Amino acid sequence: MAERFSAVAKRWLYTTNHKDIGILYIITALFFFVAAGLLALTMRTQLSIPNNNVLTAEVYNQFVTVHGLLMIFWVLSPFAFGFANYIIPLQIGARDLAFPRLNAMSYWFYLFSGVMMILSFFFGAAPDLGWTLYSPQTAFEFAPTIGLNLGAGALILIVVSITMSSVNFLVTMFKMRAPGLKLRRMSLFPWSILVTIFMMLYAFPSFLAAVLLLYVDRAFGTFYFSSIQGGSLLWDNVFWFFGHPEVYIVLFPALGIIADVIPTFARRPLYGSKYVIGSLVAAALISFVVWGHHMFLTGYGVITDKLYTVTTVAVSLPFDVIVISLIETLAVAKLRLKAAALFTLGAVALFIIGGITGVYLASVALDYALRGTYFVVAHFHYIMVGGSIMGLIGGLYYWFPKITGRMYNESMARIHFIVSFIGFNVLYFPMFLLLDMPRRIATYSPDTGWGLLNLTATVGGFIFGGAQLLLFYNLYRSARVGPPAGPNPWNGWTLEWALPSPPPAHDFDTIPTFMDDGTIHFGSSIGLPNGSSHGIGEPNGSSVGHEYSSIHSEGLSPWPILMAFSAFIFFLGITIGKPASPQPVTYQPFWPLIADGVILGLISLLGYSREKFNVHEDTNVESWPFKQVPNMKLGIWTFLGAEVIFFGVLIGAYFFVRTASPTWPTPGTVFDIRNGFAMTLVLLTSSMTAIMALASARAGNKNGLIISLLGTLGLGGLFLYIKAGEWFSLGSSGVFNTYPLPATSYFITTGVHGVHVVAGMCMTVYLLANALKGKYIKGDHATLEHFGLYWHFVDIVWVFLFPLFYLI
Amino acid sequence: MSGVNTNYLYLIIFAILIGETDIEVNLFSLNLAFSTYASILLGLAATKAIMIAMFYQHLKYEPKSLSTWVILGIVIASILMSFSFLQLSSHSFHYTS
Amino acid sequence: MAISNMQVQFDNLFWLFTYLAIAVSVVVFGLMVIFIIKYRDRSGSSEPHDAPILGHLPVARGHARTAILTVSLSTIILTVLIIGSFGSIDTILSSPAPCNIQISHSVTYNCSVLVTGHRFYWDFNYAGFPNRTITGAPSCQQAICIFAVPQSEDIRLNVTSADVFHNFGVIAFKVKADAYPGHVNFIWFNAETIGNYTIQCYELCGPGHATMIATIDVMPLGQFVSWFNSTIVQ
Ligand code: HEM
Ligand SMILES: [Cu+2]
Ligand SMILES: [Cu+2]
Repeated sequence: MAERFSAVAKRWLYTTNHKDIGILYIITALFFFVAAGLLALTMRTQLSIPNNNVLTAEVYNQFVTVHGLLMIFWVLSPFAFGFANYIIPLQIGARDLAFPRLNAMSYWFYLFSGVMMILSFFFGAAPDLGWTLYSPQTAFEFAPTIGLNLGAGALILIVVSITMSSVNFLVTMFKMRAPGLKLRRMSLFPWSILVTIFMMLYAFPSFLAAVLLLYVDRAFGTFYFSSIQGGSLLWDNVFWFFGHPEVYIVLFPALGIIADVIPTFARRPLYGSKYVIGSLVAAALISFVVWGHHMFLTGYGVITDKLYTVTTVAVSLPFDVIVISLIETLAVAKLRLKAAALFTLGAVALFIIGGITGVYLASVALDYALRGTYFVVAHFHYIMVGGSIMGLIGGLYYWFPKITGRMYNESMARIHFIVSFIGFNVLYFPMFLLLDMPRRIATYSPDTGWGLLNLTATVGGFIFGGAQLLLFYNLYRSARVGPPAGPNPWNGWTLEWALPSPPPAHDFDTIPTFMDDGTIHFGSSIGLPNGSSHGIGEPNGSSVGHEYSSIHSEGLSPWPILMAFSAFIFFLGITIGKPASPQPVTYQPFWPLIADGVILGLISLLGYSREKFNVHEDTNVESWPFKQVPNMKLGIWTFLGAEVIFFGVLIGAYFFVRTASPTWPTPGTVFDIRNGFAMTLVLLTSSMTAIMALASARAGNKNGLIISLLGTLGLGGLFLYIKAGEWFSLGSSGVFNTYPLPATSYFITTGVHGVHVVAGMCMTVYLLANALKGKYIKGDHATLEHFGLYWHFVDIVWVFLFPLFYLI
Repeated sequence: MSGVNTNYLYLIIFAILIGETDIEVNLFSLNLAFSTYASILLGLAATKAIMIAMFYQHLKYEPKSLSTWVILGIVIASILMSFSFLQLSSHSFHYTS
Repeated sequence: MAISNMQVQFDNLFWLFTYLAIAVSVVVFGLMVIFIIKYRDRSGSSEPHDAPILGHLPVARGHARTAILTVSLSTIILTVLIIGSFGSIDTILSSPAPCNIQISHSVTYNCSVLVTGHRFYWDFNYAGFPNRTITGAPSCQQAICIFAVPQSEDIRLNVTSADVFHNFGVIAFKVKADAYPGHVNFIWFNAETIGNYTIQCYELCGPGHATMIATIDVMPLGQFVSWFNSTIVQ
């Protein structure tokens, strides 16, 4: 018994299998869904009658904020990415994600970040200023509890998780598709995930930078967002630059599911799928130039207002095409109204209402009245709950038989739909009519006349919330005692339905092949549990039909969870520290936890990199356009792209405070040019030695390699030495009092850069250790090369920081 | 990209990078207008960055798909950045005391 | 009933949007419901010829002309809405000329007010009288707590904040502006009906946000002048 338990525990804690991780994501997301939903129902109870006092204003504000943050970051995307994890490798015929351990790590970062978010309730107060975290409310002066620090830490962790998994999915989908599966042939769900990942890669680094600056402002009393010179606007811009793409990020996967489920149940191919894909791409691009519509009321002038009205209205056009295509798909169909079909069709209907009301808000003139009211709350719930959550629940019913191998109870599921749909509308439609009521208010007085509509909404809330019990009961029970589902209960065409339900650990025995005439060959294992013959009936036996490596059965690794855990306690140590003095704020982090985090992190990093964990790269797969680029290299470059945005935002913030602040010290007076010059020389030279290391490795020259690596390490150290000297002398000269804004931007930007240098030096130490053992000189220099890419990037960043901070 | 040649190349690039840095630190002595001065500095930084990317990160020798990927990414990123910057600077600030 | 010029304008635009929204919804939902009913799976309905099945890529179908038609029709509707919105925003963001109200023979007033958000109350300063501050706390009903404006004049507000991000809103007038430190925002309105209206904060600013309420009192000109004389001019 105990052994069995430990085996089960080990499987789930150490797994790197995409299907296991998918299940973990889905269950965890549902857990946060319930938690955030309970917060919402409590809020609705408070609002049901005027002058109610179930919740104090303080607690209400925490509930609003954590409800919003949890739903957006910890429910919507992870729920969708649970499906993506489980289904996409099956659909594209990849044997797993490109980096399975990284995938496991993404999950554990996600889980721990959510725990941290919830922990914030127990440290003073959870974040209480709305999920938009407007500044300067985030300044220590206005939000003096540790809870907000934990919230910021949680957000940083989840952004790390999201970045890792978007790089992972991107490489997988570009490089590991089954032979003949051209991008254009992918169905809509993988397409929507691909587009989502792109938005994530551009949007989240901006958010990471923003939260980092927010945290630093709080912890060290710096002045990015708390400065009177436009701090609020700076936050508004960086936040919404991320924020608008984010609302599409949480929507698109659901749209993809809807566009795959409806054709399956309608028994007709998606109408105009080409145009639907094009529309997704177009909407994703436009989503980056509409963020100003969240700032219509900040007063930036009539031209900008009109511009954003036009872009925002324009972004509705692609969605029109998508909706019309979905409806057109139903024509001359044979529509089976199973639960999955009901939920996805219902999602389309609710999404239409959400979309139409979005056009109201796009109009700057109407927004002057609607902004900050319950009309907005109604609008985005129609999109996020009506469109996304309903669509995702449709996906849950759709894939439940595949994942568990068992059928759920159809009539209970239909009742679930009907009650949810009615409850939803009773809950949210009244909010459109509450277009005078400010959102995020803890209570209101009776003479406002808002009582009845609020009461209705609350009743609807309990109907909607209660309906979800049917879902959980149904799935919980059916997973045990439901009738066997068979491999393809819905008669779907995508590849996951070719496998037994549930699929074996290693997925396909042989890689499926897409032929030019549009047929798909599966080898002989279609629908057969554990089909065992390979390569039979394959068009060209040499390129398909080799066996999957055994990574799945052995693919257990303890390091991802350990790494995530050490990051968790590290951030906990940083964030739960007490303020040592309020004015100026200086933070006293909790050192023991930080030390534990660092030590554990180093151990797991070492374990991670020493573990034999071979991921076999196939050469015969479809990988346009990156045929000759190894997975890892594509991954690194993509990661560096995200880094570019991250530093771009930091530099943008510097520009902003610089233009907004009335004075700036002349070059050479505060930041010594000689220091900057010396550091530039040192870093450029270290780039030189890094490339020499690669050249030596290529030439098989072990000594040259070691000397060059030592040189790189030494120069990195020298750089940090000079930097540290500069920091100390500046810090002790009281520069924060004389030049608060220049000092803030200098310390933060060069500090973040310095952290990158330290990380690079850690890598160098690791490379050195291996080089001493004779590695890298026999053509196995890929790791060395990848390190170089990173190191030169760090160098490039400095190339810009030097003139910006020292010369201009 | 065989041994000796590339080492030469790396050294030459290195020399250029150092040279440009020298120019950067001495540029102020020309007493240029601020905007000219700043643009030249940033331009120099950009050429340095491009050289590092092309040769040290050997983007020049990578398959077209990868270099296009990177360049496209940077172009989109910089367009977005300039948008945000334009947007930010379109606000006027009134200093209330 | 016309309460303020901005409200009249909002109502017109809002109903324009709503009529078009209803028209579009009728078409779209109608189509959807008809299709769902007509093409649902019934005993005897046969599998469509192009039904997607496992082992085959689904047949590509759909015409560019549908997409083009959708986009064109939407563009027409949206253009109407944009034009309407532009008309309104031009009014909202215009700056009307100062009024000139003779308060007493030596004092005039130009209808400009500085509004400052604080956690959790609003301050009002009439232009030219910086030393007289009206503080609009909800609990206070005295003259000094009521923000009075004359009827049928263009009232110009400069809105800012002394601490965090607020939003100044007179919802009955459909007038709103962000109030944040370091920036003075401008809005205006012309109140047409006498009476008391609620001012409320529309951006979460802390525990007192829900009760950050003040009252605006629209008075006939004569009454305003005497109120002004007794409360502001001293
Ligand atoms: C049981 C179902 C739900 C109920 C009763 C509910 C209720 C509420 C309420 C009362 C608010 C506060 C509105 C305000 O004062 O501004 C709110 C805010 C919000 N809700 Fe929900 N909600 C539900 C489900 C969801 C779901 C599923 C999502 C996302 C997928 C979601 C996302 C949000 C967001 C983002 C906010 C804004 C938070 C903020 O203003 O900071 N809600 N919800
Ligand atoms: Cu938006
Ligand atoms: Cu407020």
